[in-house]
Amino acid sequence: MKINRFKIWAVAASFAITAPIFAQGAPNAEEGKKLFDANNCGSCHALDKKLVGPALRGVHDRHSNEWLIQWVRNNKKFRESGDADAIKLYNDYGGAAMNIYENLTPAQVLDIVEYIKTAPAPAAPKTDTAVTSSDAPVTDPTTKYVLLILLAVFSIVLIVLARVRNTLKRIAAEANPDEYPELANKGSFMQRNLPAFMSKMNPTVLGLIVTTLIAIPLGIYGFNFANTEVGVQKGYAPTQPIAFSHKLHAGELEIDCKYCHSTVEVSKSASIPALNTCMNCHKGVQATEKYNGEISPEIKKIYAALDYNPEELPGKQFGDNPAPVRWVRIHNLPDHAYFNHSQHVVVGKLQCQSCHGPVQKMEVIQQWSTLQMGWCIDCHRNSGIDVANNGYYAALHDKAQKDLKQNQNNSKYFGPDGKVKITPAMNGGLECAKCHY
Amino acid sequence: MSNNIKYWKGEEELNRDPQFLADQKREFGEALPLEQALSDEGFELNSNRRDFLKYFGFSVTAVALASCSKTKVRYAVPYLVKPEEITPGVASYYRSTCGGCNAGCGVEVKVREGRPIKLDGSRDSVISKGGLCATGQASILSLYDTERLANPLIKNEEVTDWTSLDGEIKSKLAVLKATGKKIVLLSDTINSPSTLRAIAAFKETYTNVEHVSYDAVSYQGILQANATDFNKRSLPHYHFENAKAIVSFGADFLGTWISPVEFQADYAKNRRPSAEGGMSVHIQFESTLSMTGTNADHRFPMQASKELANVATLYNYLAKAKGLAQIPVPANSELAGNAIEKASKLLLKNAGKSLVISGSNNTEIQQLVNAINMLLENYNSTIDLTNQSNQFSGNDTAVQAAFEGLNKGSISGVIFYGSNPVFNQNKEWAAAIAKAKLSISFAATKDETAAVCQYVAPDNHFLESWSDAEPLKGLIHFTQPTITPVFNTRQAQESLLNWAGALPANEIDALKNKAILSQKIESSSFYLFVKNYWEGLIGAEDFQKALEMGGFELPKTEGIAVYTGNVSALAASITKAQASTGYDLVLYQSIGVKDGSQGNNPWLYELPDPVSKVCWDNYVAVPKSIAVKLGLDEESTVNIEANGVKYENVPAFVQPGQANNTISLAVGYGHTHAGKVGGSLEKGFAPIGVNAYPFMNTTRDVLIGDVKITKGSEKYILAQTQTHHSIEGRDLVRESTFTSWKKNPNAGNEKSAPHIYTIWEKAEYRKDGSPNHLWGMAIDLNACTGCGSCIVSCSIENNVPVVGRDEIRLRREMHWIRIDRYYSFVTDKEKMTREDDIADVDAYDKGDFKHWENVSVIHQPMMCQHCAQAPCETVCPVLATSHSSEGLNMMTYNRCIGTKYCGNNCPYKVRRFNWFRFNDNDKFDFHFNNPLGKMVINPDVTVRTRGVMEKCSFCVQRIQEAKLTVKRKGGNMKEVKIETACQRACPSNAIVFGDLHNADSEISKLHRNERAFSVLDELNIQPSVKYMTKIRNTETI
Repeated sequence: MKINRFKIWAVAASFAITAPIFAQGAPNAEEGKKLFDANNCGSCHALDKKLVGPALRGVHDRHSNEWLIQWVRNNKKFRESGDADAIKLYNDYGGAAMNIYENLTPAQVLDIVEYIKTAPAPAAPKTDTAVTSSDAPVTDPTTKYVLLILLAVFSIVLIVLARVRNTLKRIAAEANPDEYPELANKGSFMQRNLPAFMSKMNPTVLGLIVTTLIAIPLGIYGFNFANTEVGVQKGYAPTQPIAFSHKLHAGELEIDCKYCHSTVEVSKSASIPALNTCMNCHKGVQATEKYNGEISPEIKKIYAALDYNPEELPGKQFGDNPAPVRWVRIHNLPDHAYFNHSQHVVVGKLQCQSCHGPVQKMEVIQQWSTLQMGWCIDCHRNSGIDVANNGYYAALHDKAQKDLKQNQNNSKYFGPDGKVKITPAMNGGLECAKCHY
Repeated sequence: MSNNIKYWKGEEELNRDPQFLADQKREFGEALPLEQALSDEGFELNSNRRDFLKYFGFSVTAVALASCSKTKVRYAVPYLVKPEEITPGVASYYRSTCGGCNAGCGVEVKVREGRPIKLDGSRDSVISKGGLCATGQASILSLYDTERLANPLIKNEEVTDWTSLDGEIKSKLAVLKATGKKIVLLSDTINSPSTLRAIAAFKETYTNVEHVSYDAVSYQGILQANATDFNKRSLPHYHFENAKAIVSFGADFLGTWISPVEFQADYAKNRRPSAEGGMSVHIQFESTLSMTGTNADHRFPMQASKELANVATLYNYLAKAKGLAQIPVPANSELAGNAIEKASKLLLKNAGKSLVISGSNNTEIQQLVNAINMLLENYNSTIDLTNQSNQFSGNDTAVQAAFEGLNKGSISGVIFYGSNPVFNQNKEWAAAIAKAKLSISFAATKDETAAVCQYVAPDNHFLESWSDAEPLKGLIHFTQPTITPVFNTRQAQESLLNWAGALPANEIDALKNKAILSQKIESSSFYLFVKNYWEGLIGAEDFQKALEMGGFELPKTEGIAVYTGNVSALAASITKAQASTGYDLVLYQSIGVKDGSQGNNPWLYELPDPVSKVCWDNYVAVPKSIAVKLGLDEESTVNIEANGVKYENVPAFVQPGQANNTISLAVGYGHTHAGKVGGSLEKGFAPIGVNAYPFMNTTRDVLIGDVKITKGSEKYILAQTQTHHSIEGRDLVRESTFTSWKKNPNAGNEKSAPHIYTIWEKAEYRKDGSPNHLWGMAIDLNACTGCGSCIVSCSIENNVPVVGRDEIRLRREMHWIRIDRYYSFVTDKEKMTREDDIADVDAYDKGDFKHWENVSVIHQPMMCQHCAQAPCETVCPVLATSHSSEGLNMMTYNRCIGTKYCGNNCPYKVRRFNWFRFNDNDKFDFHFNNPLGKMVINPDVTVRTRGVMEKCSFCVQRIQEAKLTVKRKGGNMKEVKIETACQRACPSNAIVFGDLHNADSEISKLHRNERAFSVLDELNIQPSVKYMTKIRNTETI
C-alpha cells in the first residue's frame, strides 16, 4: 500500500511538473485516464454506475465543457455563484459535496472528459456469484484408473501365459530333448538369468531375502507416511467462500490479529469474526478503484450474506434475508483434545504465528503446523513459563528458586542450554487430563 | 462398634441368593454378547476357518477402503452479527425460575453459544439456596425433546400458521360468550402474578370464563385444614432450619413434599453434629420406606390407615402434658414401644423449636397437626402462615365440579393450561372433553389430554419464556428466556392475551425485529406485559437488577395467623375412623419422575429410586410379610384392585422397611401419550409402568384402604442398580450416635490406620509436595439424603449416556456417581446385629417379619475415589489411565483399548464401560441420538465412543477452567471456588471439593476432621475422597 501511495504521488507530481507542456494541446484521453486514477475519482464515480456521485459516461453531453471545468475545479464556489444546474445536482445527491480539485488545470479537466468520452463500454456484466463454498463438483478420475488397472491386469495375464508356455515347453524338452534341441540343457529361468552365486541358492531363502530387502524400506516409508501424513492436514489451504486475504489485511494493512479474532484472549476459541466486524471497515471500503467503480465482488459477498444494500444511505441496518457464510474449517483438532487459545496467548504469551505460521504473508490461509500431539508435546517440553510474573505460579517459582539454590547446577530447572527454564512439562503439562477430558 | 453392624444392599445379598452369589463373582453382568450381536447382523458365531478368512479378508479390505476416503470437509459458520453478550467458547449464566415442578426454585442457566446446557440452583434464591433437585436438573432435556409439538394443532392436524388457529378459537370463544355458555380454564397451581393478570384480562374479555386449578398430587388436606383453622386457604411456609425436633407422619419432605430442595437445605443445617448447636432429632412415622424416612433418627412403621388415630394419640399426649382436654381415640392407637409417647416428650422438650407435619391429604389429620403445632407454639418459629407458600393451592372440589359440568353440558368450553386430567385424574375426562364445544390445550407435547382436544396451542418451554412467580408471599422470582423458541410455539399467556385482545402494543424497534439480531426474544409481547407491570411497581433500574439476580424480596409481613380451630369437633370422625382390615395402598411420588409431568424425560426414568434402586418402572412395593404370604419372589408380579381400578401383572418389589399391612405404588408412570421414551400408544411405544392416578379417584387421597392383592401370573425382572456390586462384608460405611460422638469425636471411626506396605515408590508429587494442587473431596454422610440430584447433574455435565432398562438389567449402567444404600436391621434387643446374626433375628421375630419393618439406612455417594495409588492405573496395558501431579486419576479415552482390566481391578466398582456408541445408536433412543437432543451436550467434555472405559473425572473441565481464569489474571487459586457438578447440585451441601494443599480450605479441614474416613482404607490405595461418619441422634428420646 505504501508503494501504491508513493506511485500516486509520483504520478501526481510528474503531472504537476509536466502539465504546462500539455496545456495547449488537444485533450488527451490517455492523460485523462492517468489523472482520473491519480485523483482517486474512482472512489466516488464510476463510468456506468451511480456510486456516491453520478455515473460519468455521457457527462459531456449533459454539461458544457466550461460548466464541467468550473464544477470539477471548485464546485462549492460554483454553487455559491448560483448556477441552477450545479445546485440541483448537489441536492440530487443528498448534499454529498464533491471534493475541490483546484490543482487540476482546465486543460486537465478536459483530458479527463476526453477519457470519459472515449473509454470503452464495459463488457456484459458477469452474473454475480453469491456466496459459494468450495465443494464444487470435481471431475471424476475413476475411468482413467479403471482403464489403467485393466491394462495392468491384461499385461499380467499375458506375462503369465507366456511363462506357462515356456515352462510347458521346457518340460516337454526335458522329456524329449531331441524334439526341442534349443531348450535342452539350457537350465531354468533362474539359472539362466541370475548371477551364479544366487542361482545356486535355495530359491525359498533367496525369495525371503529379496522380500525382506524390499519390505524394510517400504515399511519404513509406510510408517513415516502414516506418522506424518495420514490425517495430518498441514498445508491444507482450501478455497474459501470469500477470497479473504490475510496477506492484505494482516500483512500490508497491519491490522492486529485480535481486531478480528477478538475472543482469542478470553475464550478457548479465537473465533472467526462475525460479519459485522468486517462491516466496520467495509461499509466504507469497497475497493471500487480496483473494479472500475464497481464494488469488489468479494466485498459484495459480505453484503449478500448480510443482505445489505450499499445503495441505501448509511445507518441502515442489515436486511431480512441473511445467508451466513460457510467458511471451510482448516484447523480441526479431534473432539477428544481440548485446546484453549486464551491459555496460550495470554498465559503462555505466544504469538499467533508460533502455531499459525506467517499468516501475514498468506494470500490463502492454510494450516501451517501439523497439529499432531507430538508437535504439542515438543512445545510443552521446550517453551518456558513466565513463572516470575504470574501470581498463579508463585508456589512453583518458590520451589524452583529453592531447588536452584540447593542443587546449584544440578537442578532440574536448568535447560539443556544451561539457562534456567521452567517448561509446561515440569508443571504437569504433559499429563493426559490437561488436554483430554 | 461399626464392625458389629451387618449392612446389606438387598434381599439377595442378605439371603445369599445363589444367582446373586454367582453374579457377584463376575465383574460384568454377562459374558460378551457376541453371539447375539452377530446373529442380529445375520452372522453365526460358530464359524469355520473359511468363514473366518472371509470375514477377516472382508474387514481388512473394508478398513483399507474406508481409510482411503477423503477427510470430511468441515465448515465454520460465524455469526452474521455477533450478539454482544455471547463469546463463542465461553458460557454465560442467566438467572431464571425452574419449571420442573411448582416449587419455583431460582435457577442459574448455563448457556453456551445460545443453547442452555445446564441448570443449577441460584444461590440467592430463598427456595433453591444453590441446590436443585433431580427433576429440576433434568427439565432442561424437555427443551430438546423431539416429542414436543413443532406447530399448533387444529383437530390433530398441524398448522404452521398461528393466525388461523387464533381466528378459529376467537370466533368460537365469541360464540360461547354471546350464548352465555360457561368456559373453564383448568390449570395447575399458578403463582405467577403476571400469568394471573393475563388470565384476569382473558376473563375480563370473556366473562363466561372460570379459572379452576388443581394439582396432580393434591395438598387439599392442608389447604382445607388451614381454611378451617386459620381462615386462610394456603400452605404455610415451613422453616426446617429452626426445628430442633421434627416429627413427620409420612411426609417425604426431603424428596417430594411441597418444596423439597428448600427443605433439604434447611434440614441439613441442623443435621451436622456440632458441639455448640447440637443436632436436630428427626422422627418419622410412616408406612412405606420413603427417602425422608431413611434419613430419620428414629423411624417407626405405622399402618397408613391408622394415621388419624396415631396423630390424635400424639395430640392427647401433648394435651395431657399441657392440661388440656383429651379427644377420644380408638383403642391400640399407640405404636409399638410407645413410640408416639416418646415423640411427644421430645416435642415438649423442644416446644417452639419443633415441627410436626403430615403427608396425608386428609383434612382431619391436618387439622390435628395444626392443633399440635399450635400447642407446641411452633407458629412463627418453624411454621409461617402469615408469609405463606403459594407453591400449591389447587382445589380438588372445584375440578370435580368442572368435570361434572363438562359431563352434564353446563360447561361448554375448556382450556387446559399445565394440566393433564386424562392422565392424572382419570380416563373418563376424555369422554367429558369430547362433549365440550371448545377444547384447547396449551400442552407442549401431545399428551393424553391434548390428544382429545380440538386445539393445541403449544406453550413454550420455561427456558424459552418470560414470566414471574411468587412461590412464597413477597418472594418474586423471574423467568427469562435463554434460547429463542426451538419450535413454532407460543407462550400460553401470550395466547390468552391475544384471544382476549389485550396484548400490549409491541414496541416498534426495527433492530429488535431483525432475525439476525439476538434481541429477537425480547420482542415477545408477554415480555412487555411482564416488564411494564414490574417497571411500574419497582422502576426500570430495579427491574433490570432483579432480572439479573433472579428476583427480589418484599419485606416480610409481621403478625401471626389467628387460630380458630376446634379439635373436639374432630372427635366424632376420629372415633369413627377405622383402620382398614385388609391392606392399605399408599400412592407416592417417586424422586425423579415426581408427578409425571415430564413424561418423556429419560434422565428421570434412569435415575434409580433412592431407596429401592429400581429404575425405568414403577412397582408395587410390598412388605416381606405379604411377599411370604403370596409367595412372591424377586421376579413376581401382582394384581391389585382398589377403588374400582384393577391392574394385572404389575411388577412387585419386596421393600424392607415397608409396614406390614401396606403396599405402595408410585404415581406419574404409565403415560400413554408421552413419546418414544415415556410410552406412546399412538406411536407404538409401550408405557413405562402403570398409571396409579386412577386409584386416587375423586378423593385425591394418597391412601386407599382395603386393597385386593393377588399374585400375578407373569414374571417381570425389574431394572435395579442396587445389587450390581456386592459388599463382601467389608467395612464401607461407618456410623455412630450423637451421644457417643459428643464423648468421643472419633466415635464409629476408631478403626486404627492400616499398616502401610507398598511396593510402589511414592509418587513424586506426594514426596516433595506438588507446587500445584492436590484435589480432594469430602462427603458428609450426615448431610447426604440420597436424593440423587448429583447423579442427574453429573450426567448432564459429563455427557453420560442413558442406557435404558435392558442394559441396566445387564448391570451396565453408566452413571459416574451412584448412591449406595445400605440397610441394617434395627431390633429392640440390640440395635446392631453381628455379621452372622441374621438367623437369630429371624428367630427373634418368630416369623412375623417385624424386623423387616424396622430397617436403618445409610446413603453413600460413590464415585471414582482418585486413589493416590490407584489399582486401575497399574493394570492398564496402554497407560490410558494414569495419575496427574494434582492427584487426579486421569482417564484418557483416546488411548483406551477397552480391555476393562481397570474396571476389574477397581475396588469401588466405579468404572463404566461403553458397550455401545450410545450417542449414535438408534437402539438407545433417549434423545442422545438425535440432533436436537445433542444440543444439551457439554461442549467441553468428550462424547465417548464405543469400547472405552469412563469414570468420574472430578469434573476436570471445571478445574481446568478455574485454573485458567486465575492464570489469565495472574491471581491466586485461593480466590476461586471450584465446584464439581455433583457438589453444585447438592441441595444439602453434602459434597465439598477443593485443594488439599491449601491448609485453610474447607476441604483440608474436613479431611482432618475426626469423623473423616476413607472407604477401604486397608487396601492402602489412599483415596482422595473422604466420608464423614454418619452420626444418628438416637439416644435423645
